[in-house]
Amino acid sequence: MADTMELRDIEVWDGNMAAAQALRQVQVDVVAAYPITPSTPVVENYANFLANGYIDGEFVMVESEHAAMSGCIGASAAGGRVATATSAQGYALMVETLYQASGMRLPIILNVINRALASPLNVNGDHSDMYLGRDSGWIQFDAYNPQQAYDLNFVAFKVAEDHDVRLPVMVHQDGFMTSHTAQGVKTLSDEVAFNFVGEFQPMNDMLDLDHPVTHGVQTEEDWHFEHKARQHNDLMTKVFPKIQAAFDAYEALTGRKYNIVECYDMDDAEVAVVCMGTSVETAVEVAKEQRAKGIKAGVVGIRVIRPWPFEQIAQAFQGCKAIAALDRSSPNGAPGMLYNELAGTLYNAATRAVLTGYVYGLGGRDLTKSLLNQIYADLVANAAAGKPTTALQQLIGVRGPKLEFL
Amino acid sequence: MLEIRWHSRAGQGAVTGAKGLADVVSTTGKEVQAFAFYGSAKRGAAMTAYNRVDDKPILNHEKYMNPDYVLVIDPALVYTTDVTMNDKPETVYIITTHMSTDELVASQPKLAGKNVHTVDCIKIAQETIGKAIPNTPMLGALMKVSGMYEMDFFKESMVRVLKKLPKKIIDANMEAIQRAYDEVK
Amino acid sequence: MQKSGWSEFEIGAMLRSFEGATNNIAITHQEDRPYSKSNSFTASVADWRIVKPVFNKEYCIDCQFCWIYCPDISIISRDKKMIGIDMDHCKGCGICVEVCPTNPKSLLMFPEQQDEEAALSEWPAKEKKEN
Repeated sequence: MADTMELRDIEVWDGNMAAAQALRQVQVDVVAAYPITPSTPVVENYANFLANGYIDGEFVMVESEHAAMSGCIGASAAGGRVATATSAQGYALMVETLYQASGMRLPIILNVINRALASPLNVNGDHSDMYLGRDSGWIQFDAYNPQQAYDLNFVAFKVAEDHDVRLPVMVHQDGFMTSHTAQGVKTLSDEVAFNFVGEFQPMNDMLDLDHPVTHGVQTEEDWHFEHKARQHNDLMTKVFPKIQAAFDAYEALTGRKYNIVECYDMDDAEVAVVCMGTSVETAVEVAKEQRAKGIKAGVVGIRVIRPWPFEQIAQAFQGCKAIAALDRSSPNGAPGMLYNELAGTLYNAATRAVLTGYVYGLGGRDLTKSLLNQIYADLVANAAAGKPTTALQQLIGVRGPKLEFL
Repeated sequence: MLEIRWHSRAGQGAVTGAKGLADVVSTTGKEVQAFAFYGSAKRGAAMTAYNRVDDKPILNHEKYMNPDYVLVIDPALVYTTDVTMNDKPETVYIITTHMSTDELVASQPKLAGKNVHTVDCIKIAQETIGKAIPNTPMLGALMKVSGMYEMDFFKESMVRVLKKLPKKIIDANMEAIQRAYDEVK
Repeated sequence: MQKSGWSEFEIGAMLRSFEGATNNIAITHQEDRPYSKSNSFTASVADWRIVKPVFNKEYCIDCQFCWIYCPDISIISRDKKMIGIDMDHCKGCGICVEVCPTNPKSLLMFPEQQDEEAALSEWPAKEKKEN
């Protein structure tokens, strides 16, 4: 039996520690990991808790991220509660196995501490790795601060392990900006935290010797499409009600409310930015300052990236006149992901808001309040003109001659 | 919003200092944020760490800061980096040096006319902790200059923050904090 | 099962070996196991054969070589006695015949359509060792 850790009501934790404490509190059975900056402390702290008797579990040291997720897949198929963490290049090496995990419907939790993808090599935070996994069949949650990194891990286990869902979940947080930034985190006691998620309920586990199963089968054109269709159907129809129920239960327990799409000052907003990660909070602060100047500014934060909240997004922008999609990943020859998803979502919606896109913050480049103020100024002009007054895509915060396209 | 910028070398404990300060401040009901800008992330490389303190939740995640306090815990960084960047007229400096404040300002004209305090955190750390880890003494100096907390409360809190260290090291840190509090000018 | 739609099977790239719960499966004979429809045991590969092994009990010494070497687990052995061949899963590879050490062999390959009685009736005699 693992020892209980006494926590203060508010602990000053960075995002990595917050995630690691959540893994401890739900008593993850197996972590197979290959540490990589900036995600290292998540699994390092898990190993520390394990070595000091605070977890009944196993830490499996492996030779690569591909092996890390493979180990997680094996442990999860065997019937354990399983989690790991990674970033950037490690995530890229994991991609092949991400598809295996989701196709096998294994409820693994992956903390992705978002970091730029080389080349050039860079350890700082952007959303390149997050975007790389968006078709992998996982559920993706995004945390904007350490408190949310803590909270969303509990929600992730609850949703993933539900027998009507049985899909792996990534909990994203911004490398360094969240992972290495210490802030006050309101904690749950070990007992309350564990009980929210509950004992792991295995399903089709390999260690159920009375019901032998074969995992990871091959299908060709005769069966593959049906399996993928089933997974897509479940992501499209079954996941959001379960996420909402988990958010509701978590709010009832803690008072902290999460939404599939986070709307800040959107009720009467005429201009809005849409973004993810720490940028959401900085944008909320800037929007408040814009409001003080008489501009009806709002912010939409994407809390659930996959499945994509089509209906909730369409709802969020009613009455909005100009929207900016902020992508923290180089689209490398296309509009940004958020721009494209928003365009696809809003094209048939009631809104006829002007939609423009921005690429920002690559490799950890600071998103300053000054940059956000410029974006709102663009949006106010777009709203007044009823059409784009800027290029559809602008790169902001980059040195050199102005870069804008489309 | 109170904002603090630390100038340090990787390995001198600025991140630990910033996080320790955040921990203590958090216990008084305030919202805190502590983060760092790691640069090349090599031991000895110049780096900056940051604190934000406020009565309401801190939403701002930009690294850009107009600091209320600039804490310099390595004496050479006054010359090799710009410790005055993005400051404001009321910014308060606490700088580790063996020199007097007048000598320091004379040696680095950028500091002229600014509110500069000096304390030799390196020497204090060497004489108390036995290593040039100047982070905790800088916190003692900050308590004196800012009047943020009573010394008894602060030291009591720091004992809790440092609780994983051996008692001897904790005692040495407390002595370092007290000496910097007494010696900062 | 071949024509099942996407909503008609269990989730995950997972197949059950058996229908319902099993216990002591290791000591249950194959023919008594509740194999599921998705288990390969319920599929026949008999039509793969062009030639088939015929077992002649008269010469068998129950050495179990054929049982060990058969790649399709198609030699039926009970209490270490060879009793026959699982003709649903034998593909007619002939390995059992190759490894059979008796003289004459206790297993020989015959055309698939050959009558078993006829095959046994034309079994070769013991070969004399050449000095």
